[in-house]
Amino acid sequence: MKQIVCILFIGVLSSYEIYAQKDSITVLKEVQLKHIKIRDSIYTTNTVVLSDSVLRQNQASLTNLLNFNSPIYFKENGLGMVSSPSFRGTTASQTAVLWNGININSQTTGQTDFNTINTRGFNKIEVRAGGSSVSTGSGAVGGTINLVNELHYDTGFNNELFANYGEFNTYGMDYRTEYANKEFSIMIGLSRNGSDNDYPFPETDIINENGQYYNSNFSFASGYKLNKKNTINIYANVYDGRRNFSVPTPNALRTKYTDFNTRALVEWESIIGKYVSSNLKLASITEEYNFFANIDNDFFTFGRVNSFIVKYNLDYKPSNKVLLTAGTHYIHNNGRGSNIQSETRNLTAVNVGIKHFVSDAFLYEVTLRQETNEQFGNPLLYSAGISYRPTSFYQLKLNTSKNFRIPTYNDLYWTGLGDPNLKPETSYQGEISHNFSIKNASFAITGYYNSVTDLLRYVPGTDGIFRPENTNKVEIYGLECLLNAEKNINDHKFTANATYAYTVSENQETGRQLIYVPFHKFTTSVGYAYKKLSAYYQYINNGEVFTTTDNATNNILDSYIVANLGVDYTFGTSISYKVGFQVLNLWNEAYESVLNRPMPGRNFNTYVNLIF
Amino acid sequence: MKHFSFRHSVSFLAIVFSFISCTSEDRETPIDPPPLSGDYSNGVFILNEGNFGSVNASVSFLDESDQVFGNIFSNVNSANLGDTAQSMGFNGDNAYIVVNNSATVEVVNRNTFDRIATVTDMLVNPRYIVFSGNNGYISNWGDPNNINDDYIAVLNLETNLVESTISVVEGPERLLINNGKLYVAHKGGFGYGNTISVIDLEAQNVIESIPVADVPDGLVITNGSLYVTCTGKLPFTQDETIGGIFKIDTADATVESSLMFPEGIHPNSLEYINNTLYYTVENAMFNIKISNFQLPSAPLFEASDNGLEILYGFNVHNGNIYVADAKDYISNGEVFIYSLDGVLQNQFNVAIIPNSFYFNNL
Repeated sequence: MKQIVCILFIGVLSSYEIYAQKDSITVLKEVQLKHIKIRDSIYTTNTVVLSDSVLRQNQASLTNLLNFNSPIYFKENGLGMVSSPSFRGTTASQTAVLWNGININSQTTGQTDFNTINTRGFNKIEVRAGGSSVSTGSGAVGGTINLVNELHYDTGFNNELFANYGEFNTYGMDYRTEYANKEFSIMIGLSRNGSDNDYPFPETDIINENGQYYNSNFSFASGYKLNKKNTINIYANVYDGRRNFSVPTPNALRTKYTDFNTRALVEWESIIGKYVSSNLKLASITEEYNFFANIDNDFFTFGRVNSFIVKYNLDYKPSNKVLLTAGTHYIHNNGRGSNIQSETRNLTAVNVGIKHFVSDAFLYEVTLRQETNEQFGNPLLYSAGISYRPTSFYQLKLNTSKNFRIPTYNDLYWTGLGDPNLKPETSYQGEISHNFSIKNASFAITGYYNSVTDLLRYVPGTDGIFRPENTNKVEIYGLECLLNAEKNINDHKFTANATYAYTVSENQETGRQLIYVPFHKFTTSVGYAYKKLSAYYQYINNGEVFTTTDNATNNILDSYIVANLGVDYTFGTSISYKVGFQVLNLWNEAYESVLNRPMPGRNFNTYVNLIF
Repeated sequence: MKHFSFRHSVSFLAIVFSFISCTSEDRETPIDPPPLSGDYSNGVFILNEGNFGSVNASVSFLDESDQVFGNIFSNVNSANLGDTAQSMGFNGDNAYIVVNNSATVEVVNRNTFDRIATVTDMLVNPRYIVFSGNNGYISNWGDPNNINDDYIAVLNLETNLVESTISVVEGPERLLINNGKLYVAHKGGFGYGNTISVIDLEAQNVIESIPVADVPDGLVITNGSLYVTCTGKLPFTQDETIGGIFKIDTADATVESSLMFPEGIHPNSLEYINNTLYYTVENAMFNIKISNFQLPSAPLFEASDNGLEILYGFNVHNGNIYVADAKDYISNGEVFIYSLDGVLQNQFNVAIIPNSFYFNNL
């Protein structure tokens, strides 16, 4: 019943806002719901763009940012510990994390641990729900997160320093320097975050022990316009993190984990003749983890993978209405680990596509991608869709796609357990979006369906040993709502963003909901600014989840709400500095997103942001 | 218009705040049937080990009228039992629950389940416990990375403190005490063992090491003979070896005879009743008469026939065979009770990963 009430509220809320805004005379400055900007993407699904100011307002981890600002559900093994997403009811390895368009999911686990991404290294993050294997390849089944270093030109010399400090000795330092003239742009960022993370578990006298962490991130982006037709962009990122894993019980053996990841990308954009443009990307990625099963012992297990990626894309634009694309994608992985003999693999794919504005209101697009990997059955992937915008108030989008995810290094090569004959997971999806926008508000509602076959799971044999297998078929369907609104009244500025997801993700063999996929998740944030003062309130309501596959009610993890409140004030004029104060978990909710891994209660944080 | 917008903003906030009530904290969670006023003096304890790292180990209780009570440790003590309950042992009025990944031993009254003490010191990956005189002996795998630090912790039963340790080779698992000697099966812990250590309890040191096949698991002593099931190394080790059942003369610690299994057959566990040994191979139950010590040609019963998915624990007691089904390890498990000739008598649900049965005054 309560859930129904929640849905009704959403309905009321959205219609309320749209009508309430009709009389308004001010213009919405930044509509965050917009067409995808990345080149090799599609126009017939929605993307949420989180801008720099949103990134600043949130804690540094990607988990925290997306938990409060997207419909993605997260399970976090205690604050700052291993964190995995479920995007549109899919499993953790079915969400692709891209760095400037390059897939950086771990080749060993297939996932990205969202607590090993420091958002301070980026100035834009794009969240796209739904499959996009045609452009990003394996893994983009539930959705993609693109971490972007967006380059600006002709902006001069800018420096920004951000520092925060809070309870449990939690600190963050972030320095970013940028210089750009008309031809050249460079951006360098340095960031460090850490915490003793020894928070008390609410309503108990137990302390989160052995949960301390720190990480450093270096980011670099530069662009150089060689001439009117050629631009070279160079991007780099280094992440170095160390975490102790908090102990589930106080007397347990203490462990620690280190990550070291590097990424480098060279991009050459060029215009050839009148109608053709090309884009070449060469990327090198290294990932490395070390796990110490006993913190007092030097012995560790590890995994290391080096990857080399080439992406080439040609766009042919015979008119302003038609875009024909052709591209190729090559990935080379070379990995080894404590339980994996050295293995290399090469993946190649070619793609062709067309986007055509039949009229100003109507667009269709089709992209085909032929994977050429014998081992994974040479699948032909596709995405096709239409967009129809009869009025400025309403837009209809329809999209269907076939996507896949290949088995990971662990699945294939783990000594004695891996199975080199595993098949990829295959996903067929369809979605329909209704986007409504008025002067200062936008609302989107998307219904989707996703059928995943050959789901890769670790299944126990009768000998009690877990092995990866292509198992069940999973059927996922649901609704997503996104709302943005903004209103200025004299010097008072109000903003509101909300997301809601209803997700059914069912194992077709058992007819049961997958574990750790909530039926409901709601997020909202409201902001208020008056001259140099601003305040915001963020709120999430995560529905209950099953923790066992029999969906037994005695193993349900309860729903929870978490809210944050922040206030800041900007001083200065030429050099501006902002001082802010945040209350995290304002209502002191005792909650867990993973069974018996309590999260912190109410705690406080202050920050300064200096722009010079 | 200003007034209008302000009112809407307020309403908006009101709606937002009202979501606070949209949680399931007051949802009706099924409450375990109330315990028998703390009376667990006659019945079967079923240990549910729970998921590694999830702190959801629990104890279920089957009373004499076949009623099942869940979560008795936490219901009585208002505390979690811990992370991965491995085994349990009785001594006097007490029950001792060895909680592997919590590195604790919970000491409770075996009839009320009231907690008496929690042993926390000098335990690293504890596995099993046995008793002799004033001492408990707890096998410990030690640090996962160190194959040379495995030991038997010697627990003082009066102080509930570990007062000394006895160093042994890697992977001490099941324990048996007979005639002043402690027999330790070196299953292998984080590696693979192939010996039985014999410890003199008076001198508290290892006096013999009896070589058997790889991965010794179940231990039974009867009539001066020690029987040991050896699983052999499983195929995933990429060094598969054959399993066997060994009969050892405890008088001189030598192997009297052994039954070796065909390649690819890996036996587990060992229990004894009415001059008969019981062991399992995957989901099948087998028995061997002591008087006719040879491998049977057919199983006593195949628990899969009754819907069992993963046979994860079993025991025999008073004319019944108790079998635990771990299912997919992320569901509530199930218990199947058979007569000694393999006829299903009863089945019921328990909690996550049931692994063993303990009989209290039955």
